[in-house]
Amino acid sequence: MLSFTLKRLGQSSVLVLIMSVLVFFCMYVVSDPVAVLASDDFTEEDLIVLARELGVDKPIVVQYYQFISKLLQGDFGISFVYNQPVLPLILERLPATLEVAILAIMIGLCVGVPMGIYSGLNRKKKVTKAISFITTVGYSIPNFWQALLLIIVFAVWLKIVPASGRGDTTVLFGVGWSFFNLDGLRHMLLPAVNLAIYKICMQTRLARSGTQEVMFQDYITFARAKGLPRHRIIRRHLLRNILIPIVTITGLELGGLIAFSTVTESVFSWPGIGKLLIDSIHHADRPVVVAYLILITLMFVIINFIVDIVYAVLDPRIRHTQ
Amino acid sequence: MLVSVENLTVKYRLSDGSNFNALKDLSLEINRGQIVGIVGESGAGKSTIGKVALGLLDENAVIGSGNIRLDNDDLTLFSEPDFENIRGKKIGYIYQNPMTALNPVLTIGEQLIETIHTHTNKTGQAARRFAVELLEQVEILDAEERLSKYPHQLSGGLCQRIVFAIAICSKPDLIIADEPTTALDVTVQKAVLDTFKRLVQTENIAVILITHDMGVVAEMCDYIYVLRNGLLVEHGVTQNILKSPKEIYSRELMAAIPSVDKKLERFMVPGTIQKSEGRDRALKFLNRKLDETYLERTSPILSVSNLSKTFVSPATMLSSQKIFKAVDSVSFDIFKGETLGIVGESGSGKSTVGRMILGLHSPDQKTDGDSEITYKDINLLGLKSQDERLTFCDSMQCIFQDPYSSLNPRMSAGENIIFAVKVRDSIPRSKAWELAEDLMELVGLPRSAVEKMPHAFSGGERQRIGIARALSFRPEFMFCDEPTSALDVTVQAELLNLIQDLQKALGLTLIFVSHDLAVVRQMCDRVLVMKSGQVVEAGTTEKVFNSPDNIYTKGLLASMPRFKF
Amino acid sequence: MVKLRNTFRAAFHGHPVAIVGLLGVIFFILLAIFGPLFAPQNPYDQAKLDILDGLLPPMSKLGDGTISFMGTDALGRDILSGVIYGLRISLFVAFTAVFFGSIIGVFLGLIAAVKRGWMETVIMRAVDLKISFPGVLLALMLLAIFGSGVDKVIYALIIGTWASKARLVRAVALSEMKKEYMDFARIAGLSQIHIITRFLLPNSISPVLVVLPMSISGAIGAEATLSFLGVGVPITEPSLGLLIANGNDYLLSGKWWISIFPGLVLVAMVLCINVVADRLRDHANPFLHVKE
Repeated sequence: MLSFTLKRLGQSSVLVLIMSVLVFFCMYVVSDPVAVLASDDFTEEDLIVLARELGVDKPIVVQYYQFISKLLQGDFGISFVYNQPVLPLILERLPATLEVAILAIMIGLCVGVPMGIYSGLNRKKKVTKAISFITTVGYSIPNFWQALLLIIVFAVWLKIVPASGRGDTTVLFGVGWSFFNLDGLRHMLLPAVNLAIYKICMQTRLARSGTQEVMFQDYITFARAKGLPRHRIIRRHLLRNILIPIVTITGLELGGLIAFSTVTESVFSWPGIGKLLIDSIHHADRPVVVAYLILITLMFVIINFIVDIVYAVLDPRIRHTQ
Repeated sequence: MLVSVENLTVKYRLSDGSNFNALKDLSLEINRGQIVGIVGESGAGKSTIGKVALGLLDENAVIGSGNIRLDNDDLTLFSEPDFENIRGKKIGYIYQNPMTALNPVLTIGEQLIETIHTHTNKTGQAARRFAVELLEQVEILDAEERLSKYPHQLSGGLCQRIVFAIAICSKPDLIIADEPTTALDVTVQKAVLDTFKRLVQTENIAVILITHDMGVVAEMCDYIYVLRNGLLVEHGVTQNILKSPKEIYSRELMAAIPSVDKKLERFMVPGTIQKSEGRDRALKFLNRKLDETYLERTSPILSVSNLSKTFVSPATMLSSQKIFKAVDSVSFDIFKGETLGIVGESGSGKSTVGRMILGLHSPDQKTDGDSEITYKDINLLGLKSQDERLTFCDSMQCIFQDPYSSLNPRMSAGENIIFAVKVRDSIPRSKAWELAEDLMELVGLPRSAVEKMPHAFSGGERQRIGIARALSFRPEFMFCDEPTSALDVTVQAELLNLIQDLQKALGLTLIFVSHDLAVVRQMCDRVLVMKSGQVVEAGTTEKVFNSPDNIYTKGLLASMPRFKF
Repeated sequence: MVKLRNTFRAAFHGHPVAIVGLLGVIFFILLAIFGPLFAPQNPYDQAKLDILDGLLPPMSKLGDGTISFMGTDALGRDILSGVIYGLRISLFVAFTAVFFGSIIGVFLGLIAAVKRGWMETVIMRAVDLKISFPGVLLALMLLAIFGSGVDKVIYALIIGTWASKARLVRAVALSEMKKEYMDFARIAGLSQIHIITRFLLPNSISPVLVVLPMSISGAIGAEATLSFLGVGVPITEPSLGLLIANGNDYLLSGKWWISIFPGLVLVAMVLCINVVADRLRDHANPFLHVKE
């Protein structure tokens, strides 16, 4: 188990390293910071001075080294637009994204998994067919359009919740959270539901196909044959087996959630890292984009790593080395 | 009478609207404490009986008519709650594949104890103690420790014993055992069956033993019912049915069973191949061998010396490097026209030897003396290029084990037969299709079937196509890797007859690999017995089977369930 | 071809919803191909536009007498025509990206399965890396770095789809290679090319075909999202996503038709494809107990 963990850790580190190299070289190839920052009236000399200042006159390997060492110290550069260090800028907005994401995941699991299990167990019923169709529809409407619809229906027509913005926050452990604040919660609701709809659809489909697959297995037939009551079969045999794919895929889907949060946050003007990214792209704020890329990669690698460990813990077949 | 089945008819509704009759008008009886065998080939409907009794039929199954009574309760009228009352309690069930019958993510202790909770009122420590007792009853050592193990950590035989333990935990009146030892090795099978018989006789439990293996039936059952395609063909006391069956099908069935004790000239089953033009053409083509220069010589046609094969699975993140010595210094000779049998249990290395001869694996480089594979006086291992090897080796072909994966599913039967030989330019293209049709006839299939796709053929038919395919290369040497293990007994007999006929007509040299000692007895002149990669005994069939020297061979022969003729 | 027809018939028989979906897909494809012949207006033709026709609700009469069924946008462009042309772009981008992405994926998956060794490790690590990164986000990053444009969107989406196909094909190919007919091919001395093209490829490709529709609908959605965010197709070749973005500003002021109609068409198309995709996938993996 230990060697497994270490090997995974090693692989993850290599991945992050590769990503940083790729990102760096992409930026190097595509943009020339001198050209971006220089104004029209710079002379040849001024350009050379600027290049030296920015460090772009050195060989590429040296530049990369400087890039990495700064990174490891937490210095991701200065944002062109906000004129502040990038890392704190991103971290400041992280809680907003996280709380919406977590709420969305919880809604997705609590609604989606039971619906999926029910659909899997009762394949022929009309309700199942209806659920199936609804989830397909929910899955087909692009994220941003769902957001627009939600705004039109709940904010403009029904006027129950505000259309955008974050609202008030309650400060806990030095960070502002919307979740614990009534006004904040009202603002949080639509973005969370927007993200959750996609999650619910995926979880339902996943739980349904997992349930169908498990119920088809010999050990379920045998459990019936040995006289176990149905509820016990579902609770013990079914759940334990579908838990594995659900947990692992939920973990992996976290990435998708962060991706879609860029859209959700843009539409709802929710001040999270997603909105920061989009704005930065539009304003050509390179340092922010680069930092986002690297941080996201790091986050995915960590998530994947944790998921692998959890998967090994849950599935005894993986756990045991013969 | 414990169980009585009267005129039971069960149908399955298929997706295209038609009906499949699983059981037609079946009647049978089982008394308390009796071990009754239900025998038949695939499609006979044997498993369906077990499922009806437990209410485990598939959704698309319909009970047409008749009834099945357990102690005066009509099971055909039972609802799901009624079934839940008797499942496990009055009727126990033993499933064919123990590894899939147990939930892989729960320990066996959990699975055993949950059954104890359901059927008895023992809880906590009492339940655990009872679980240990049950495991000891089924003769599992270190019972206490095993409770916390997962199924994949235990062997097949051990898992099947645990399945027994689960089945008997509530002392049921009846146990339905559906092919309980088919998935196990022969020696394990014997031990498991012995335990089973002892248990049910001690507890006076009636058993419905469903199987296709006549040997098992002979040793275990008091009374048997023979089924074919859902119909009852014959029934009676075991000895009577086995020795003097009355009905035609039963006689065919018994005639098809290879015997461990005696070699027959031929299986007395119907199905000889009609004479035809195509067949003659094929024979003529095949008798014109590739290599005319190799005449009858005194040296063996194939000589293998000092072959070894070690498989190394690389260290993954989950396990360390695994080294498995599949074949360990094997040597033998085989002469033209002979049939050499290789017997052994799974993992003995018998297939690997053949795969090395055919070039699929390369043998280990040895430091102590050279490995050699000498075919027609050429050392194949010494050949440098693949082309050189191919020149000699086209006359070495193989018949495979699994009819469902040995043919390319996307090519028609005819294409399967001649595709390779056409690509290799071994025959002119214009003649290829005709050759395919001729070969089909030679193996007993209609010419017109060349266009059909593999999935339209039965298992036995697919094996025939495989033989035709091997013959297209005009082989002199054929490696038969368990070609009939996946087939029903009557189909097996026909196929073995075919192989023998072809061997006689074409002067083929065969290596015949099998785990089934009886089949080897019928087919082979000489035999090698392999265990864990080594040859433990070698000799003529008569010698090895009648008076084996090696302990392992003796054990193997003793484990084979057989008829008492 | 006969086999394809039979497969379709078997898959769709008795599933009215799926048949409707299939008809919808065919309809949209035909609309995309032949639409411009029927579109009331060519929205790219600057000369025909009249700003006085701007922001008219559906079923209004335009300056030149034609009726605008879906209304007009701020510049006087007919929404219906915009939708038809936008549909073409959306479908073109999605189909092209998935087509090439699948070819690359299948090719790499086969190599990984056949060659094994370090090539397999490299390819599969790349696949893992890519799969753990959501496609939309990755495309977003790439477009942020390299700029936007129809071709760049296609490249970004190709990078988004190849990995899942590679993983699928490798898994199937590995299990097919264990089958005995492959042993026969090797014994018979067939060249590796023959083994891969005639034996391995045809038998490994069906799972990819099953996921293709889902990939296409995913690509349509991804492109729409990217264009909506402003990093996708340029304004000169607006896809449905961009049209929706254009109309976003007018939503709150009641001029709903500029966003809603493109949105409805987008949703309808993706829904139809997904319904068909679901049916094909269920057909390929039956969890029904069918006696053979």
